[in-house]
Amino acid sequence: MLLYNARLAWKSIRRNPVLSFLIVLGIALGVGVSTTFITAYHVLARDPVPGKSESLYYVRMNSWGVADDPFLRTPPPLITYRDALELLKSPVPVRSTASFQSHDTVFPEGGARPFGQDLRLATADLFPMFAAPFRYGGPWSREADTRPESVAVISSALNDRLFGGANSVGRTIRLGNHPVRVVGVLGAWRPRVRAFALFGSPLDAPEPIFLPLALAGPMELKPHEFQMSWRTPQPGEEKLPYASQLMLDEVLFVSFWAELTDARQAETYRHYVDAYVSEQKKLGRFPHPLNNRVTPMLDLMDELKVVPPQTKALAAISLLFLVVAALNLIGLFLGKFLARAATVGVRRALGASRRTIFVQHLVECELMGLAGGLCGVLLALLGLAVLNHVYGDGPQGVPFFRLDLLMVLAAVGLSLLAGAIAGVYPAWRICSVPPARHLKTQ
Amino acid sequence: MEFGPIFRSLLRNRARVILIVAEVALTLAIVANCLSLIMDTRTKLARESGFDEEHIAVIHTNPFDDHLRQQTVLDQLVDQDRRTLRALPGVRAVSNTSLRPWQRSGNITSVRIPGTHDEPVSTQVCSADPGVFETLGIAITEGRGFTEAEYDHGADAPPTEVLPVVVSRALANRFYPSGGAVGKQIGDADESQRYLIVGIVDRFYNPFGGSGNDERIIFMPARSVGFDRGAQYLVRTAGDPARLLPQIEKALLGVEKGRFVRTRTMVEDRTEFHGRDRILVASLNTVMALLVLVTALGIVGLTSFSVSERRRQIGTRRALGADRAAIVRHFLLENWMVTSFGILLGAGLAYALNFGIVTWVAGARLSPAVVAAGAVGLWIIGVGAALGPALRGAQVPPAIATRNV
Amino acid sequence: MLKMENVTKIYRTGMVETRALRDFTLEVEEGEFVTLTGPSGSGKTTFLNVSGLLDGFEQGQYWLDGRDVSRLSDREMSRIRNEKIGFIFQSFNLIPDLDVFDNVDVPLRYRGLKAKERKERIEKAVTMVGLSSRLRHLPSQLSGGQQQRVAIARVLAGDPKLILADEPTGNLDSAMAREIMDILDQVNEAGTTIIMVTHNPEHAARAHRQLHIADGRMVDLERIAPFPLNRPAAMKSPVRQAL
Repeated sequence: MLLYNARLAWKSIRRNPVLSFLIVLGIALGVGVSTTFITAYHVLARDPVPGKSESLYYVRMNSWGVADDPFLRTPPPLITYRDALELLKSPVPVRSTASFQSHDTVFPEGGARPFGQDLRLATADLFPMFAAPFRYGGPWSREADTRPESVAVISSALNDRLFGGANSVGRTIRLGNHPVRVVGVLGAWRPRVRAFALFGSPLDAPEPIFLPLALAGPMELKPHEFQMSWRTPQPGEEKLPYASQLMLDEVLFVSFWAELTDARQAETYRHYVDAYVSEQKKLGRFPHPLNNRVTPMLDLMDELKVVPPQTKALAAISLLFLVVAALNLIGLFLGKFLARAATVGVRRALGASRRTIFVQHLVECELMGLAGGLCGVLLALLGLAVLNHVYGDGPQGVPFFRLDLLMVLAAVGLSLLAGAIAGVYPAWRICSVPPARHLKTQ
Repeated sequence: MEFGPIFRSLLRNRARVILIVAEVALTLAIVANCLSLIMDTRTKLARESGFDEEHIAVIHTNPFDDHLRQQTVLDQLVDQDRRTLRALPGVRAVSNTSLRPWQRSGNITSVRIPGTHDEPVSTQVCSADPGVFETLGIAITEGRGFTEAEYDHGADAPPTEVLPVVVSRALANRFYPSGGAVGKQIGDADESQRYLIVGIVDRFYNPFGGSGNDERIIFMPARSVGFDRGAQYLVRTAGDPARLLPQIEKALLGVEKGRFVRTRTMVEDRTEFHGRDRILVASLNTVMALLVLVTALGIVGLTSFSVSERRRQIGTRRALGADRAAIVRHFLLENWMVTSFGILLGAGLAYALNFGIVTWVAGARLSPAVVAAGAVGLWIIGVGAALGPALRGAQVPPAIATRNV
Repeated sequence: MLKMENVTKIYRTGMVETRALRDFTLEVEEGEFVTLTGPSGSGKTTFLNVSGLLDGFEQGQYWLDGRDVSRLSDREMSRIRNEKIGFIFQSFNLIPDLDVFDNVDVPLRYRGLKAKERKERIEKAVTMVGLSSRLRHLPSQLSGGQQQRVAIARVLAGDPKLILADEPTGNLDSAMAREIMDILDQVNEAGTTIIMVTHNPEHAARAHRQLHIADGRMVDLERIAPFPLNRPAAMKSPVRQAL
């Protein structure tokens, strides 16, 4: 019976190709537009570290040291290098990492022209905390953090450029005046949001080089992104070695993340941070009232509006678009079905039950819904390709916006739903046409 | 015209009317809000910096060679670079400055009138050489600019010295609303440095560091160069700056090749700065266009059906004396009435949607003019979409009335 | 009132050419009641379409009310249909979305009459056909006979010179049919020319003149009852007076 219905539907679709095209086009546009923008929103708003983000907390504390505080309500977004080193010593979190972005020159072997690269100074825990995939090797050890060892984790793109994509673990790269040994090569890694650097440019790709945080002093690596300072260096301080200046300065540029297993541990950690600040107050730092924050990652992303709010508006608007498309569909189906009320009258007179007629028409709606949905998915692919083109792909060639299986299924489901919702009323109208009415005038 | 009968007949075709009304209403609500978002964003996109952007090249140099680690060498290099660039044919002016227009980068500081305890005012601040004003194409409207000597000395000046600075009108007005800022002092909020205002520029806009700072700037006479941050040059050209970029790079590497040189035009920077907003505007435009298309298709479809459903009725009307124009008028009027209901409902819906967007997302309040513009557009589209089917309806021969089927 | 000379009407469907009327010639005097019979496909409906200006024709000439209407524009034809001709159809052709009042109103709207005059005419016409209590009923709420009476009211309200009736009783039972015929008789007595196509010999017999059409030609021309020519226009009929 279903097959018979499908055949009837196909005949009816072919009988009026222009109209059928319009119907399919209507669904395709509705599904295509909404899938594109909902995917864009979904990609941006999605949990950047699935399964882990609930346990990742961002630490802020108000170390601003002058009376006029621009951070009256919320503490500054970053912390100082020296406070980061102290917090890293805390035994409370499972893992914790402090990191900042810097920049240096890579001198390739064989005398090729050097090139500048952004890099991130971090601790070894960053890789497991933010689920970085490795192609070769792995993160450096925690010992390498403290000693520190001159080691590096590099991106696969940089590995391709320097080593032709070969396993470079154990090889050496010259960064400025310093040789560093490669311990790990990352796999394809293009998180939608660079979660470890939510302040700054969170939508950029991860840096191509990672180094132990403690190398900042010896390698004289200075913060390259956002930094804030309230303290003017005292005369003579600028003559000190950079490593010592780092420890003295009240410059805010470090992002600090802690991995905490549950709310209770988070509470314990908050007390720990408060206790640390109270301790520092005794030393004359942190003149402002206690105002520290240990914020879960997803809350912080909301607070920072990492997902541009207009993206949300677009997603909402495109959902409404789907509603308009469905309304449109109801109208088109209604017209299409009622135009053949006479034929239906004959079928009814020949013994088709109301149910049969209903099912027959609903099948037709679903068929067209499905066709429209598939075209819609194609449109969405096109739309996302355009978005990818204008947003720019990640340096590792991983497209930013991808249509995952879930979204495809959702789109097809959506179109079936649209077909059903749009089809029910017209199918009901046509099946409740009394058989006699259209036969009488024949 | 026949408002009454058409209205009463519409009441008896509720399904069709409700569909078009709902479709038009939703479309208007969406279109009005899209338009509002677009206009909102476009104002931002259209905001001019006041600089001669079309003729400015932006050059970043980053030293990597060891001998450039010495600050004195870098300082000399900057002077040499400036001379070299100025000597290039087609170059009108050159400036070494840390001001980075449209680059989401720069410095912010807080200032106030020294000795007072007023709320400090945050402002952009940059180092610059005397040529910066001519290079940007902004005139000093009051007071004077810097001298080469002040520039040469600036970076090494001890904090105790009062630095001569040029500020934007927006910043000057913040402290001296009634004018007379030239000759007055301002100072860093932490008392570390004092500035003497020697000149004022009227035009300045660079979105950085929060909207309050967009029009506030302090130009400080000082060389801007370091091994880690490199040096930036702005080059004002007579013609298209893009054509001069290769020569500029070649000339600078000719002076010193132990560094990277990155050349761009200010227009490129500005375009990149607006990238997301432009995507947003393009997306909104696309959604709007497709939506209107879908709605128009829907109206065409529904009107076609109503025409084909009423062929006999049309024939009868023709037999009773309606000429073709009367039939077209009939359908257009009917459509106009339905569209109008939709528009009326849609205007309300537009405000409701806007309220939702403003409350939960972000954006500006809807202005009645935008809703009106959307309404007029939909009126035209709604009635225009009905024109085709109506014209086809007018072709129904009156003889159909005598057919007894 | 109506005069046709050698009118030929051709229908083309694809390659096939059908001559629905061949050299058709007819003259109907003002005030006459003429019936037209003929087998189906003989050209009755075509004759009605052509004489009612619903359709054009290829050859011949046609005068209506003394005016040559052989080659007119759509607008002129519409105007004549509206002002001089009234149609009564076998399937009534009331507009289903409009109630009785609005249905009768349709041709008056096209004539561009003032609201007050339209209202008077509608109410009189509907009263004449005995449906004044049903002004706000929809066609679907009326019986077939009532619907046809509404259709007649629609004609009467327009006060046409010529009524073309296409089997007006074809869809009705005999009692209702008689009612309709009585009304038509009254209208005719009031001076309106009527041409009626019918299958019913009894109804055909009520006319002044019976015509027979076959294969697109007039085959028989027989005067049934003496028709008083130049009958004075001032009528004693209650119908005319009511108008």
